[in-house]
Amino acid sequence: MAGLLLSRTEKVYIVNGIEEDFRSDGRSNYDYRPIELETNVVSHASGSARLRLANTDILVGIKTEVDIPKPETPGLGKIEFFVDCSANATPEFEGRGGEQLANRISNILQRAYHASQAFNLKQLCIFEGKQCWKLYVDILILECGGNLCDAVSLAVKAALFTTRIPFVKAALMDGGDVDLQLSDDPFDSKPLVVGTAPLLVTLCKIGNKFVVDPSAEEEFCSIVSVVIGVSGNPAHYTTEKIENVESKFTTIGMSGVGGLVPDTLKSAISQGIVAAKCLDSALGRSLLRERQDICSYKKDSYGFLK
Amino acid sequence: MSGHVSIKLASERVNPSVASNNEIPRFFTPGEVICGLGDFMRGHGTYLEDNNIKSSVAGVMQKVNKLICVHPLKSRYVGEIGDVVVGRVIEVQQKRWKVETNSRLDSILQLSSVNLPGGELRRRSAEDEQMMRQLLKEGDLISAEVQSIYSDGSLSLHTRSLKYGKLQQGVMVKVFPSLIRRRKNHFHVFSFGISMIIGNNGFIWISPIPRELTNEERNVNSDTSSPEVSKHERKAIARMKNCIAALASSKMMLDDNSLRYAYEESFKYLNVKDLLDTEAMLDVAFLTQHRINDYDED
Amino acid sequence: MPFDYRRFNGPEDSVSYKRFSEDFLRTYDELYKDLLDENGKRKDGRALNEARSLCTSISRTNIVSQAKGSAYVELNKTKVICSVFDPREITGHQNEYSWFGQIYCEVKFAPFSCPRKRRQLVPDSDEKALSADLKKALETVVRRDKFPNFQMDIFVYILEHDGGCLSAAINAAGLALADAVVPMYDIVSASSVAIINDQIIIDPTEAEEHLALMYTDKEKNHGLVTMCFMHHLKQFTDFRQIGSVDAECVLKVMDILEKECDKLMLVIKKIMVSNVVRQHNEHKVLLEEAKFREEVLQSKVEEWRKLLNAG
Repeated sequence: MAGLLLSRTEKVYIVNGIEEDFRSDGRSNYDYRPIELETNVVSHASGSARLRLANTDILVGIKTEVDIPKPETPGLGKIEFFVDCSANATPEFEGRGGEQLANRISNILQRAYHASQAFNLKQLCIFEGKQCWKLYVDILILECGGNLCDAVSLAVKAALFTTRIPFVKAALMDGGDVDLQLSDDPFDSKPLVVGTAPLLVTLCKIGNKFVVDPSAEEEFCSIVSVVIGVSGNPAHYTTEKIENVESKFTTIGMSGVGGLVPDTLKSAISQGIVAAKCLDSALGRSLLRERQDICSYKKDSYGFLK
Repeated sequence: MSGHVSIKLASERVNPSVASNNEIPRFFTPGEVICGLGDFMRGHGTYLEDNNIKSSVAGVMQKVNKLICVHPLKSRYVGEIGDVVVGRVIEVQQKRWKVETNSRLDSILQLSSVNLPGGELRRRSAEDEQMMRQLLKEGDLISAEVQSIYSDGSLSLHTRSLKYGKLQQGVMVKVFPSLIRRRKNHFHVFSFGISMIIGNNGFIWISPIPRELTNEERNVNSDTSSPEVSKHERKAIARMKNCIAALASSKMMLDDNSLRYAYEESFKYLNVKDLLDTEAMLDVAFLTQHRINDYDED
Repeated sequence: MPFDYRRFNGPEDSVSYKRFSEDFLRTYDELYKDLLDENGKRKDGRALNEARSLCTSISRTNIVSQAKGSAYVELNKTKVICSVFDPREITGHQNEYSWFGQIYCEVKFAPFSCPRKRRQLVPDSDEKALSADLKKALETVVRRDKFPNFQMDIFVYILEHDGGCLSAAINAAGLALADAVVPMYDIVSASSVAIINDQIIIDPTEAEEHLALMYTDKEKNHGLVTMCFMHHLKQFTDFRQIGSVDAECVLKVMDILEKECDKLMLVIKKIMVSNVVRQHNEHKVLLEEAKFREEVLQSKVEEWRKLLNAG
C-alpha cells in the first residue's frame, strides 16, 4: 500500500522477527489476528455479512435477481462479484484510484468460484434454459489494514451462508414466456449450499519465510506473495454428521514483483492449505453458533455499534 | 505447523470501557456557553462571543486558576515548546526535513538543528545540503524536541542532544495524543529489557536496550544499526506493544507507571499472542486500573 | 456488455449461428470421448504430453517497423503478435517520483479470433485479466530500475485463439522485449497445461481448454494451469491455476511445466540469435551499398573538377 513508510531498521526488525517465527505482536507465522463477524446486517439484501480483521473492515451484500441462463449452460445459474474500494478506506481510493486493486480482487474471486466443486451453480436453476437466479455479490472495503483477499473471501462465504433464495411455487409456460409465482412469505425460502465455497489465503514472502495474514507494515516488507483458493469442507457447516470432503485448490495466483524458486512455491502451497483448513473450521463453527442464536431468538443486530 | 484462527461474533463483543475512580468531568459541546468573560483567560478550544466564553470543540473542560480550556478526546497533536516527539521523515527539502508528527501541519526539522555526524560544530556548508539524504531520508524515524512554533501552528523540531536522533531497530505504536500524560521524562528504560520513548504526539517507540557492540559485531555489520535482537527482547517488545494497544482501546492514560503495571499484569497470559484477544485486552486494562487506584489510595 | 460508441456495431440482438448447430449442446461426456482417438492421440495428432513447437521458421522478431521491438509467434493455429514501444513519461502521476519504471500491458483479442463468439472491440473482463497476468509475468524480468519514472508499453494482439493464449502472449512479449533491447534479468518462457479427469494434457488447444473449464459434476481433477519461468535464475515469475485440482496434482504439474519451459527456452534462444544474425547481415549489406554509392559520387566529383579546370 502506498502512503505507508517504514524506515530501513524497522524493516530489518520485522524481517528478522519473521525468520524466528515471532512477529512484532507475538504471533507466529501461521496465526491470524482476531476476527469479528456478523451476518444479516443489511436487511434489504438477500444475504449480507460484515467482517472485521484487526484494521480491515469488509461489508458484503448479496442480491438475487431472476435472469436468463447462458445458452451454453442452460441448467446453471450465475454469480458475479463486484469489489468497491470506498474512499473511506484511504484517500488514495478516491475516484478511480482503487480500481486496480478492486479488479485484482474480483478477478481472483471469479476464478476461485469458477469450478463446480467450489460452488454448484445448479442450485440456482429455476427453469432449465429459460430462467435462473443470478447472485450479485457486492463487496465494500471500508477500511484497509492489510490482508484484503482473505478477509473478503471469509465475508463472502459468510454472506452466502446466510443468503436465502425465495421458493418458486410455480413456473408456467405462457406461450414461450415463463410466468413465475413466488411465495409471499419472506421466510419461505431455501438457503444455499455453500459448504464447499473456497476461501482465499494470502501467503506473503518476507525474507525466506511465508507469512499468513500480514499486517500493513509486514505487507510493505514483502516483494512477492502467493494467493491460493482452497475449497471448503461442508462437514464444518452443518450440525449433521456428514463425511469430510477433501479440499482442493480452486485457484493459485502470484502477485507482486518477485519470482519464486519451485521448492519455495511448493512449501508455500502446502503451508497455505493447512491455514485454509484452520480458517474453514473456525468460520464454520462461528456461523453455526450464530445460527443457533437466531433460532433461539437471542440475536440482536449490532452492526457497527455496541 | 498448524495455525490459530479465532472468529468471534458481534454479539460476543465486549465493551472496552473501564470505569475509573475519578468523578465524571463536565463535558461541553461546540457552541455551549462555559461562563461569562469575567477575569478568565481563554485557552485552547474556546472562543469569545457576546461577552461569553463558548466551547469550540467537544470535550472536557479544564480550569487552571484563571485559564479555561476545553480538551477534546481525539484531536491532532498540538505541540508545546519542550515536548518530546517521535516523528517520521516524509520529505527531504533544501536545508530542512519535513517530519510527520500526527499534528495538523507537518513539522520542520532544520538542517541547523541536527547534530552533524562526528559531533563537529560549524556552519552548514553547501556540501552538507547534498549529504542531507545520507543523514535522514524518507521513512526514517527520529526522536526530537519541539524547539519553537511557527505562526501557522506548525512545529520546529531539533535533535541537538545526544539522547535525540535517528531511531534504530524497534516497533512504533500510534495512539491518540490525548492519552499521553505529560511527564518530566519521556525516555524510559524498563528492567525487563526494553527501552521506550513516549512521544507527546502519540507515537510510542519501543526498542531493545542499546548495548555496546562487540568488536566482531562492529566489523560484520558495516553500519552499526542492525545488531541481533534476541528472542527474549522480542517477546518483551511484543508484550509491551500489546499492552499499549490494550490500554489505548480502553482509553486509559499512558505513562510509564501505567504501562509498567499493565506489563506485569499481562503475565497472567503466558503467550504474548493471547493478548490480541479483545477480552484479554479488557482484562489487562481492568487490572491495571485497579492497581492504579490502589496506588492512589496508598 | 460495454457498448463501443465510436464504432459501428452490428444489431444488438444478433447471436452466433453456432448456437443452433448440433455441436453446441454436446454434453461433457460426449466431448470427453472425442478428446482422444483409438491410438491415444489427440485430435491434431499429438500425444498427451507433446507440446506444439514454436515454429522456428514462422516466429519472427522485428515485424512491426514502427515499434521499438516486436515479435510474432505462431503455435500451430494460435497466432499472436506483440509490439513494445519506447519508454515515455507516466501520464497522471506528475508529483510522485517512482524509483522503478512502470510497465503497461494490454492484451486484445481480434474480433474474429475466437471460435465460439465474436469479441467486442472494447476490452472485456477476460482481456483485462490477461493484461494483468501478463504485467505480473513481465514486471519481474524487466530491469525496471533502468528507466525510473517512465512507462513502457507492451501491446499484444491475438489474431487467432486456439489455446495457450497467455503463454503465447508471454513468449511473444519476451521476444519483443529482447528485440527492443530492453535490459532484462533472464529469458522468460511460458507454457500451459490442462487437467481433464485426472489426465494431464500439455499445451491444450482451445477445445481442450474449454473442456477443462466446463461445468461437470465429477469429483476428479480438472483445470487449467499456466506457468512462466525464468530459465537461468530458475524462478517462476507467474503461476496461475483455475479449476479444481488437489495438492499432489499441482506439485506434479509444476515439475512437468518446468521441463516444458526449459525446452521452450532453447527454441526462443535460437530465434533471438537468428534475429541478431539477420540484423547483422542486413547491416553489412547496407554498409556495402553505402560504400558503393560513395565511390560513384567520388568519381562524379572528379569528373566535374576536371571539366572546371579545363574550361
